[in-house]
Amino acid sequence: MVLNMGPQHPSTHGVLRLVLHLDGELIVSVDPQLGYLHRGFEKLAENRTYMQFFSMLSRLDYLAGYFMEWAYVRAIEDLMEIEPPPRAEYLRVIAGELNRIISHHMAIGDYLLNLGAVTPVLWTFRDREEVLDLLELLTGQRMMYNFARVGGVRYDLPDGFEEQCRKFLKRFPAMIDEYEQLITGNEIFLARSLGMGVISPEQALDFGLSGPNLRASGVPVDLRRHNPYSVYPELDFEIPAGANGDSFDRYKCRVEEMRQSVRIIGQALDALPGGPVNMRIPPMLRPPAGESFAAVETGRGEWSNYLVSDGSLRPFRLKLRDSCFVAISTLPKILPGNKMADVVGITGSLDLIMGAVDR
Amino acid sequence: MTSEDALEAAEALLKDLAADIFLAGARVEVALDADSLPEAALRLRDDERLDYKYLSFASGIDFPDRMEAIYLLRSASHGIVAELRAGLDRGSPAVPTLSGIWSTAEWHERETFDLLGIVYEGHPDLRRILTRGEDGDFPLRKDARPHRVQREEWSFKGVGAPKRLPGEGNRTERS
Repeated sequence: MVLNMGPQHPSTHGVLRLVLHLDGELIVSVDPQLGYLHRGFEKLAENRTYMQFFSMLSRLDYLAGYFMEWAYVRAIEDLMEIEPPPRAEYLRVIAGELNRIISHHMAIGDYLLNLGAVTPVLWTFRDREEVLDLLELLTGQRMMYNFARVGGVRYDLPDGFEEQCRKFLKRFPAMIDEYEQLITGNEIFLARSLGMGVISPEQALDFGLSGPNLRASGVPVDLRRHNPYSVYPELDFEIPAGANGDSFDRYKCRVEEMRQSVRIIGQALDALPGGPVNMRIPPMLRPPAGESFAAVETGRGEWSNYLVSDGSLRPFRLKLRDSCFVAISTLPKILPGNKMADVVGITGSLDLIMGAVDR
Repeated sequence: MTSEDALEAAEALLKDLAADIFLAGARVEVALDADSLPEAALRLRDDERLDYKYLSFASGIDFPDRMEAIYLLRSASHGIVAELRAGLDRGSPAVPTLSGIWSTAEWHERETFDLLGIVYEGHPDLRRILTRGEDGDFPLRKDARPHRVQREEWSFKGVGAPKRLPGEGNRTERS
């Protein structure tokens, strides 16, 4: 039987359509259909000046929009051979890690919602709101930040941010314990996640997975360590990795990463140097001709930009590489053999955001 | 491993392939012709030191005089990024597929085919992926016009006259 799932489906985090070929309850093959959210970002970039395009970036992966800005400004800085002042780098890390926390909040809450548990999403949304308040204080926006700038960041820390942030960091580990109490030992959750959608380490590398999806398979590659950028080499944190590569490990990796983000933000606040947060750059950016490649580790994996400049006001070519696109491409390989009812669970455990997939 | 080490190892590995290997920032760039791409990719993947088991993405660039297919490679054991690039004929860009070497290439190549029209020979399933391609063009090519607006005169054709509610004036007069 051929069953059409989506494009309008409550579990698809956007508009994803899966064409499922079934034999009874078992899945024989899957054909994902993308493109429902295709807005042509790469072409739009070629028709705008560097900063005009900037405000569109956070609309790609709208749950962790700051990372897109970060990768983009790093690609431009690489071309222009400028380095932002140290205080700006620390502020970028703080904003990035706060963003990682809300990204994982959504990932965990929505995954459990896909499995039919309604409470976790309410709890994670409750706590996500606090982080959104912090980000609003820092950047002026809850989701579409426009915070990074070529050569620094837009604003310095506002009054009261540090205090409020530290207060949150103190409380947050207890909140994570609360999620774990609710979710991690739950029998129904374990039955629906343990051993589901297993990806071996070799497969994970071959599939090109990244982020928690890759680390859950036991490959401890995190670009923050593996290909260090910004001030991450100076910060002390661990890379949580799973062992079995199943849905449960992917969930567990995200939970552990939230704990690590708390550590990173605390250290960044402690070590925050003084000085300016941005530098004088020409109002009309004209990076010299050449190519640059910049990648950041977002909550969902590797986000990288390949930027080709011809020395004019507009990017000649901007390739946006997204990890959710790759995660969807694994579905035809890991779903067959599973039951129809687990499609939603396994898809949810990969944490897909269609805004970034379709670009 | 430093970029220089990776450069040296890549040069030794790809000596006989007439590849142009150099450093671009911290990445190792390997420029070669399309036919030797699969051989070079296979060697880079299976080499123990370089260990490029992971394909970040495959894409293409449309230059005025040529099309280029690019592949960004990563390794799980070191942090040096390598880049494979092959210049193609802009009129009929074709390159052998690498989807047999890294299975993630399958979708990246589908995307590049969809947006740029690079044909990957031997690809198992070369369909469009993001766009429908109804008018057969490739949107990321420089000669594609993205903001083509199709203007059609608005008419009542096929639509009956607007229904007037009791007591309501003539709709066409109002607007």
